[in-house]
Order: sequence, then structure tokens, then C-alpha cells
Amino acid sequence: MVLLATIIPFIAGFPQPIHISKESRDLYDWVENIPDGSTILLTFDYYPSTIAEVEPMSRAAIKQCWRKNLKLITLSTVPLGGPNIAERVLNDMATGWAVEEFGEEKKYGIDFINLGYKPDYKAVILGMGDSFRRIYPTDFAGVSLDSFPIMRDIDRYEDVEFLFIISDNGIVDEWITIANRQFGIPIGSGVTAVMAPKFYSYLQSRQMVGLLGGMKGASEYENLVGAEGMATLFMGPQSTVHLIIILFILVGNAAYFIGGRKP
Amino acid sequence: MSNFIRKQLPMLFAFFAGMVILVAFFSGKKIITDFRSDMQVWVSIIGGFTLLLGVASISSVNLQKVITRGKDWPYKLVLLVCLAVSGGFGIFQGTESGTVYDWLFQNMVTPMMSSMFAMLAFFIASAAYRAFRARTLEATILLIVAIIVMLGRIPLGQLLFSELPVITEWIMNYPNLAVQRGIIIGAALGAASMSIRIILGIERTYMGK
Amino acid sequence: MNAFIRALLPVIFAPGLALAGNGSDPWFRMDRLNTLIFLLVFAVMVLVYIRLAKMGRPLFLRKLAGLDAMDEAVGRATEMGKPVLFIPGIQEVSEIQTIAGLSILGKVAAFTAEYETPLLVTVQYPVVMAAAQEIVKDSYTNAGKKDLYSDSMVQYVAGSQFALAAAVNGIMTRIKPAANIFMGAFYAESLLLAETGNLTGAIQIAGTANPEQLPFFIAACDYTLMGEELYAASAYLSGEPKILGSLKGQDLMKIVITVLMIISIILLLTSWKGIFILKLLETA
Repeated sequence: MVLLATIIPFIAGFPQPIHISKESRDLYDWVENIPDGSTILLTFDYYPSTIAEVEPMSRAAIKQCWRKNLKLITLSTVPLGGPNIAERVLNDMATGWAVEEFGEEKKYGIDFINLGYKPDYKAVILGMGDSFRRIYPTDFAGVSLDSFPIMRDIDRYEDVEFLFIISDNGIVDEWITIANRQFGIPIGSGVTAVMAPKFYSYLQSRQMVGLLGGMKGASEYENLVGAEGMATLFMGPQSTVHLIIILFILVGNAAYFIGGRKP
Repeated sequence: MSNFIRKQLPMLFAFFAGMVILVAFFSGKKIITDFRSDMQVWVSIIGGFTLLLGVASISSVNLQKVITRGKDWPYKLVLLVCLAVSGGFGIFQGTESGTVYDWLFQNMVTPMMSSMFAMLAFFIASAAYRAFRARTLEATILLIVAIIVMLGRIPLGQLLFSELPVITEWIMNYPNLAVQRGIIIGAALGAASMSIRIILGIERTYMGK
Repeated sequence: MNAFIRALLPVIFAPGLALAGNGSDPWFRMDRLNTLIFLLVFAVMVLVYIRLAKMGRPLFLRKLAGLDAMDEAVGRATEMGKPVLFIPGIQEVSEIQTIAGLSILGKVAAFTAEYETPLLVTVQYPVVMAAAQEIVKDSYTNAGKKDLYSDSMVQYVAGSQFALAAAVNGIMTRIKPAANIFMGAFYAESLLLAETGNLTGAIQIAGTANPEQLPFFIAACDYTLMGEELYAASAYLSGEPKILGSLKGQDLMKIVITVLMIISIILLLTSWKGIFILKLLETA
């Protein structure tokens, strides 16, 4: 039943209105207010398993940033494929979407850069507060950071305007505890739906400016950016599967009560 | 001497490392923060070398099973071949876009990991049917709230009742947050207490007694 | 009291003064003074209670059903002739939850050594594997059962969470351990592991400080340790006065924080010097 509830709306289509939550709008508005041409950090802190849920957030974020001509310094704290995911998404956007939108490609080293992965995320996040180059002397391909125009005058958190985290694990806690509290960089993040409830506390304490929660958050962000994509498309299957799960809960309880409350 | 190397020396390292981070947190002196940065770079380098340890372990265990034709040895052979191929191409050809490593990652690892994650939907359905029973008053309240939140998190919920997303946001921002904060504060204090014990050498169970 | 508050005001309201002394390169960051005070108070509380515990003062600990059930779980595995499966989380050894999990592993290994029950530990990081091997070996040696120990008891199965979940699910369905113990940091694979274990009929005890995974463990496991109960486990199982004392110190700090929170709420609601409290508790 779960399989059918996923496949049928996906094939047949199930468009629905998207209600924009405050936390998604706050994140979008914050990025919109960043001065054009500034440099921001964008992380690809997610494993391939959650690509369907969080990659739409990455793509929508890149679209919003490049429309404002923001320079993107990307990195990953995920050892399995994080930098490869970043490379694929950035190249795809730079040579595909950017050409359709602006008539020309976005250039590596000028508009964006991929720093890659370094082991031990706590040491990396803390070390970057002192100097990016001490932790990442080269980019993902092994080329010295000093040879890229995007990295000119950029070496610490104070030199970038914003940290946009896209993650599927608890690394967000470390970014906030270290990068935000100790070095003061504003943070916004997109996380999986199961992790989102934990991070509402950071929103209330203003340690995070906005939050995208799961595929719903991704679809809201896509709508705000004006580029409906996979997340909006997948809201149909998500709706039907949620209804199926609720049905299972109700049927399970009905069986429980009819069966005389036996486990 | 052997006891000193096995027991006291690791505790000294733990104390020294913990104190460096603590002192550097409270100090703005460049010499201290630079020392901390250097230490973090060393941690990052050592972390990279520990990956070799994992490769050595997995290779030796599975190679032994292949040689002795142990249980399921063909699967162990597949593992070793995949390790050799992906590792070999990764080291000698690189891992950037267009390499064999990248092709294996994009076309094999990614779909497999996504499939594993997708299985969660079926496990949740099974757990929902089996475990979410209204056995007590608290469980019933939990059940009702869970259904409200599940409906509120999909666009369909707004069609059923226009204020459902607002109610869901209220539940996420207030009751949910209160409980999360309680657990997080307790866990943070527990972690801090454990950290103090490790730094001071009171807790030694992590390195065997 | 007023004089005390006035003396603190420059520190609280003028962080810029923190940079005085040697330009922007001070020996001590005054904007973090409140953090240092809290840290010292916490450390003193912990050390005082450790001292009291070492002096023989009895310290009450409430029962933790999950930890009391460890013995039962290992006993059940012994009766059934099946192994115990232990996973100390899926994070690196630098994660405090992993250290807590490894501490519990030592105790579980002591039980399995005593009952001569097979033990299988699966990990996601090589350093965790090395630490776990050391811990299990020590436990078996201390129990006089060194000959029962082998390095293959601790296996590095995979380097990613879902590969580990797939490997462990395979182990659970093939070997069918009688007891599954999950202690440490878990993420999305928690339901995969717990539900599969549930389907195989194993008794399951889980503990994690990640609140978002607790519902899955509670739904699928027989016993669950929540948040700080995971960190209390090593003290609870060992009964060592030094570690028990630190638990009491931690509890006292929790009371202090609760009282501060109540005072803050009252002050903020009544708008009487409410900002002072926010500044005092703000960390830089």
C-alpha cells in the first residue's frame, strides 16, 4: 500500500497548494537581504541516502544565491561522497540552469568553489574560525586556494556573510555551537524532516535565522525562490503516504480495541 | 613502564588536550589560539590515517573468510573486489567528476543508499500499525497530536482544515520545543559531566580498565 | 548586593571592554567570564560530590529499568545459546555519546564473559573498533576468560550509516541475536535497526542522547535510555563512588539552572531588570 501510495501520485500528478511556514520565509528573506556580490558558505553535509529530501534545498539555495550574484564557498563534513555530491550539483547548476537563466555559465573559482572534505568535523569547524587555509590549503581538486579569485581576502568566518547548512545529520549542532556562538556568523539550515523538530530551539534563541524542515521545507523554499522542482513534485506522494500511515495507526488501534486491548 | 604507557600516558594526553581546548576557549592570545589550531590540524591528519586502519581490518577479516571458504565467502569476495576497484581508481585516478570513482559513487553507491533510506517508509508503516496504540491516556494524547502534526505537515492538511498548519506550527514551537529543550539540557549536562571526568582521568572505561 | 551588581555591569553590558589591555589580543576574554564562572561552579559541584562519595556518603540513584535489564538480556541470550549484539552508536570516538556507549560495552562484555555468551560488536569507525577491542579484551581478561576473547568479536562493518544498517540487519536476520543493545549516537538508521531486531524477536535495550531518534527506539525497543540516562549508565552499572558523585553534582547543576530559568521568567514577565538576566546568561 505504501508503495502504491508513493508511485500513483508521482505518475498521475497530485498538485497541492503549499503553505509557507515562518521559518522557511525567514531563511529566504535573510538570504534576500544579503548584499549582492557577497560571499557565503554553503555546506553539503548530507549523505547520498537523503538526496531526494535535501538536494532540492541545495539547488533552490544555489538559484537564490546566484540570482543575487552571491559567491559560494562550498564544503562538506561528510566523508562518503559529500564533495562529489557538491561537485555534481554545482557543475549541473553552473552549466545548465545558469546558462538558461543568465545566458552564460557560472565560473569555478570565480562564482563558486568546492573545498572538499577534511576528517574530524569538530576540528574542521573550529579550525576554520582561525583560518580557512590552515584546514583547506587547497580545493577539492588539490589546487591552492590562493589561485582562485573567489578566495581573495576570504580566510575566516568574519570574511563571509552567511553560513547556509544543508545537512541530514547532527553536524548542525556543531556549526551553531562553534561557528555561530564563538565566531558570530549567522546560520540558516535545511535538514531532514526527522531532525527539524530539534532545531526549533535554535530558531527561538535566534542562533539560527531560518530553517527548512524536510521535503515540505524544500517545497516551500522552491516556491519562495520561484523555481518549483522535485520537492514540490514529491509533495503529492508525501501527502498520500502520510494518509496511509494515519490509516495504519487507526486500523491498528481499531484492531487493538476490538481484540479486547490485547497487545 | 608498560602500565604507564597503557594507562597513565593516554590519561595525560586526554588531560593535556582537554586543557588546551578549554584554555584556548577563554583566551584571545594569538599564541594560544594558534597552538589550538595546530592541534586541530593534527587531529584532522590523524583522523585521515585511521581510515587506513578500517581498510586493513575489513580486508583482513574478509580475506581470511575467502581463503578458508567460510560462510557466505562469495559475498566477502565481492566486497574485497569492490574495495580494491573503488579504492584503486580513487587513489590513482582521483575522485573528481568524470573519474571511475565518481561514476561508481553516482551510479551505484547513491542509488543503493537512497534505497536503504527509502525502506524507512515501510518500517515506519510497520511500526505505526504495531506500536502506536492508545493504551494509556498519555499514549492517546500522543496519538492525536501525532495525527494532527502529520496532517499539518502536508498540503492536504490545509485543504481539510485551513488552520491545521498554524496549529502544527504551534505544537512544534511550544510543546515539542519544551520537551526537546528538557532532554537537550539534561543531555548537555551529562555530556559536560562526562567530559570533566574524562579530562580529570576519573572516567577511564573508554580505554578499558 | 547592589554594589555587586554594579561591579558586574561593565562586564555584562560592555563586552568591548573585554578587548582592553593588549588591543585585540587579551590573555583572558572578559566576554566569556560568565561561562567560566558557570564552568567552575559546575566543576566544583562535581568534585565536591565525588569527595563526598569517596568518604562513604550513600548517594541515591533512581532505578533505570534499561540498565537493570542488561543482566536479564545477557542471561536470556545465554539460555537461548544466541549471541548478544552491541552497537556503540555510529559516530566517531570523539563524540561523547560513543564514549558513553563504549563505557557500557565494558560492562556488557563483563556480563558476557561471566556467562560465556558470544558477543558481537559492530562499529562504523576504525578508531571505535580499536577502542572497543581494547575494552572487550580487558573485560574478558578481568573475568579470567581471556581465552574466550577474539578480535573478530568487534567488527568494522561499514563506513556509512546505511551500509552499517544493511550489514547489521543482515547479521540480525541470519544469526538472530537474542539481545540487541544500541547505546550511543544514532540517526536515521535507528528505526531500521530497532524494527528489524524487533521482528527477529530479540530483547532490545537502546539509549541515545539524540532526542529525534528516541520515538523510534521507544516504539521498537523493550527499554530505552533517554538523553542523560545514557551518560549516567557507566556510573549506574559500575557503582563507583567517584562516578556516582559526579552524577549528583550534575543533578545539582540542573537544579541551579532550573532556579535561574524560573527567576529569569519572572523577571522577564515583570520587566524588572529582565535584560540583566539575559545578558548574564548570554554566552559569547
